[in-house]
Amino acid sequence: MKKSLASASVLALLSSGGAFAQECTDPVQITWSTIAGFYTDAMAGFVKSFEDENCAKVTVVNIDNSQLYNKQVIEMVGQTGAYDVVTLETAEKAEFAENGFILPMTEFFKDQKAIIEDVSPTLRAMTVEYKGDVWGLPYYTYSSGMFVRQDLLDDSTEQAAFVAKYGYDLAAPTTWEQHRDIAEFFTRKQGDMLKGQPLDKDLFGVGLMAGPFPEIQDELSAPLWGMGSDWLNAEGQVPVDDVEKVLNGYLELMKFAPPAALTVTYDGVMNQMKDCQIAMTHGFFLDQWPNAVKTEENCPGAKMAAIEAPMKKAYVGGFLLAVSSSSANPDMAMKFVAHIGGPVIQQQFAEMGGASTLTSVLTNPMFATPEKRTTNGQYATLNQVFSSMAGFSSNLFKTPFGAKIYNTMQIPLQSAASGQITARQAAEQLAADVEKICGGPCPIAN
Amino acid sequence: MSSTPASSGLAATSKTKGAGLSDRWFSVLLITPAMLITLIFAILPLAQALDVSFRMGDLSRGKIGDYVGLENYRVVFADSTFWQAGWVTLKFTVVAVGLQMLLGVGIAFLLHGATFAKGLTRSLLILPLATSAAVTGLFWRYLYDTQFGVMNWILGSLGLPEPNWLGDYTIALWSVVLFDIWQWTPFVALIALAGLQALPKEPFEAAELDGASRWRILTTLTFPLLKPVLFLVLVLRTIDCVRLYDAVAVLTRGGPGTATETMTFYLYRTGLKLFRMDYASTMAVFFLYVMLVAAVFALTPLLKQFTDRAKEA
Amino acid sequence: MQRKTSVFVETLRYGTIFLVLGFFVFPIFWMVLTSFKPEGAIMVSPPRFLFTPTLENYAHALHDKNFLFYIKNTLIISVVSTAIVVVFGSLAAYSFARYNVGDGHILFFILSTKMMPAIAVILPYFLIFRDVGKTAIGKSLHLGLDQHGALIVTYVMFNLPFAIWLLVSFFQDIPRSLEHSARLDGLSRIQVLRKVTFPLAAPGIAVTAVFTLIFCWNEFLFAYILTRKMASTVTVGVESFFTLQGILWGPVAAAATISVAPMLIFVLIMQRYMVRGLTFGAVRG
Repeated sequence: MKKSLASASVLALLSSGGAFAQECTDPVQITWSTIAGFYTDAMAGFVKSFEDENCAKVTVVNIDNSQLYNKQVIEMVGQTGAYDVVTLETAEKAEFAENGFILPMTEFFKDQKAIIEDVSPTLRAMTVEYKGDVWGLPYYTYSSGMFVRQDLLDDSTEQAAFVAKYGYDLAAPTTWEQHRDIAEFFTRKQGDMLKGQPLDKDLFGVGLMAGPFPEIQDELSAPLWGMGSDWLNAEGQVPVDDVEKVLNGYLELMKFAPPAALTVTYDGVMNQMKDCQIAMTHGFFLDQWPNAVKTEENCPGAKMAAIEAPMKKAYVGGFLLAVSSSSANPDMAMKFVAHIGGPVIQQQFAEMGGASTLTSVLTNPMFATPEKRTTNGQYATLNQVFSSMAGFSSNLFKTPFGAKIYNTMQIPLQSAASGQITARQAAEQLAADVEKICGGPCPIAN
Repeated sequence: MSSTPASSGLAATSKTKGAGLSDRWFSVLLITPAMLITLIFAILPLAQALDVSFRMGDLSRGKIGDYVGLENYRVVFADSTFWQAGWVTLKFTVVAVGLQMLLGVGIAFLLHGATFAKGLTRSLLILPLATSAAVTGLFWRYLYDTQFGVMNWILGSLGLPEPNWLGDYTIALWSVVLFDIWQWTPFVALIALAGLQALPKEPFEAAELDGASRWRILTTLTFPLLKPVLFLVLVLRTIDCVRLYDAVAVLTRGGPGTATETMTFYLYRTGLKLFRMDYASTMAVFFLYVMLVAAVFALTPLLKQFTDRAKEA
Repeated sequence: MQRKTSVFVETLRYGTIFLVLGFFVFPIFWMVLTSFKPEGAIMVSPPRFLFTPTLENYAHALHDKNFLFYIKNTLIISVVSTAIVVVFGSLAAYSFARYNVGDGHILFFILSTKMMPAIAVILPYFLIFRDVGKTAIGKSLHLGLDQHGALIVTYVMFNLPFAIWLLVSFFQDIPRSLEHSARLDGLSRIQVLRKVTFPLAAPGIAVTAVFTLIFCWNEFLFAYILTRKMASTVTVGVESFFTLQGILWGPVAAAATISVAPMLIFVLIMQRYMVRGLTFGAVRG
């Protein structure tokens, strides 16, 4: 038994050596459309190893996150085959699957179930699976928790003042009411005292992403899901009352946020955090941890913490790698997806500070060390988020109109945040917009 | 179009003898390359848009579908967001073009009277034009930022109120206008300045001898002489403002809410975000129709001037 | 004009000019300043004017992001488009100015194509170039998606109306008598165009060329839809600085500064020419 195994591995070595010696003269060309930035740059090295092993040539096309969806849809509709591997937001998977833009990979992964099962189950339910099929692998997760200035929560002067004012102890918020109180408590003017020192600039209790980007809905997903509701109910309609309720809570928070909240998205909030302008975030993408932790370098005495959002629910998602149905080399493209989303590369990705999607990587003790805190310090929280949200899925990810709804919903929500319309009007407008997009109640897959 | 002179240009052009080619054929030959490109790449997509406007066309759910008659027009005309986008476009265009013309001509007069560092001034003035809205718009977003921007830092230092330039729905549109003014006023100013410098000297000297007031010279001589060039600039700026997309896309994305959503941005959202090419095409056809009707009235004087001069023997 | 201006008026004039220039130059100045800032000096409040300048943003833009590749694409596409626009536009404009082809109707039609909202026709363009790119002619002329030819044709189409309208007025200012006497000297029509009319209209053509080049250089929407990587222009290339970690402000500023520089140099060279040209075509007495 042992012997045959050994000979098999020798054979494998020989054959791979043979392929290497044969040299790759006519590599298979594939193109991967994805989002620009560090995470993609980090991938460049992994692309190289894939090319060498498989005699392929991978072209990486960087596209701005806000344009990725429509650029990819155009190429899919035109059936150009220009992109073999596409990168999808969680809400877009159902649309791409339903319209035949991407190929199911159930068959491909039949013999490699381990990889699929390694994807954190919560993430898997939302990003990988749709109508019983597997549609790709996520390579990167932006699942949310929240960031707080732990040093502010831990300060004894502030703790005493807080308990005197609100009647309970200052600590990481576990309800959205507490979150509001803390935001109010830490909203101070230049010259006011903080931790016994006068402030040299205004401090705001919370940084919000209410700008004209599809992230205000990610924030609002936290309280909405936290109260047991969803953007779409089982009938495929927007629960107007629930949306109104969480939106009113959000409007209350706007008072404690910097005015720029109405124009920025996550990078703006991170800039405010790093410039010592805000005390915490709302529901926020945990992959930004390496960014958030820089606050400690810029603000004297600052200590950052990544925690679960109040009520232990927040936006969960990842960028899914899927194979275009107009790809000329779907086999190679699928191999590439398995390569990037697989355990070997994900481990290396994590070592470079990437937000991995695999349980085996996220729970690897090597990332729990103090030395890894500034790059992978959010992993423990991410694991908590996944376990708290186990079994949860949103109907937003189960309707083929999810992408369009997702790309539209910030408009009424932002209108309300800016004070142009009331929360009620915004919720009603959202319901009307969604109904228009779906042509009636939205179909929800089981 | 019916308002253009109906007489044929053929009669006006005299036949030149000795050439192998008649004037008529020569003139047609000259416009052929330009017309070929224009016909193919204007008519083809336009025909397609017109066709799609009568059909079902949800691109992300497959192909262009069945003919639905005027259904798309009914939907678009009943869409309040569409009309609101039209209203935003109108407000933007009137204010932006109006201010650009006023400021541009004002700056031209200012520079015309100056004798010092003229070349340098002109070179600096052209800077905003030489940049792309898609890129400099980004830096304006940075300038406008309430937390990190220079604008509010200056205002704050002077003890003035610090507006939320792009976040306050009551002023966001005017902030986009300010950006457009920054980028395009130099265009108006440079052309108007060139016009001023080219004015013939004699009539002005005569008027001064007659003791005409400055105001009178301005209204009876300068402006009438500048009118044609200013009119062309006005038309070009109006067309560009009505089709405004880049500045909105980079500064506000139509927000907050839909406060700065112009017609073309709404078209973009409908066509390239929701992929409802049927509605988008319908809006485009309607948009083009309105523009053409407006153009027939606005352009007739300019067109007549061109054709009259072309007909001068 | 009377030259009886007081010191007060002159002070006021130059003061105002200074303020006006300040308004138009400051955003560009701020962009250039940002391009030399280290990362920690950009998103800070209050805004920082004093810092240790660095070239790392330029290194990032030029080396890591290979921004010169986009500059090269933009240069090829803009220059070729402009050349075609100028040649085709001049021929057509001359025909309109002298022979009144179409009696204004065609001229109106040409301007009306400029009114078409680009977004409405962008998908038809995409599909046209996808199909043309597969044909033999399309292949030889690089007319497919993500090839230079597709953008060149598009830019020619969208800049021709402006160019023709501007050029018609320039040609009309050239006295016909000059052409007549040249014809009487035995020159053919084409020779007259080449040796008399076009040289006389050169300043006007220069103005048209400058504006066309600027418009091509700065176009975003078509460049974004019709290219992917190989033919992407600077406005699209800048997108690779919008990352999941936020906008890379320093490198974007460096890239923007680099991309404005060629335009600026070009405009400065053409300046004298342009002013004469604008003057020439602008006003008829």
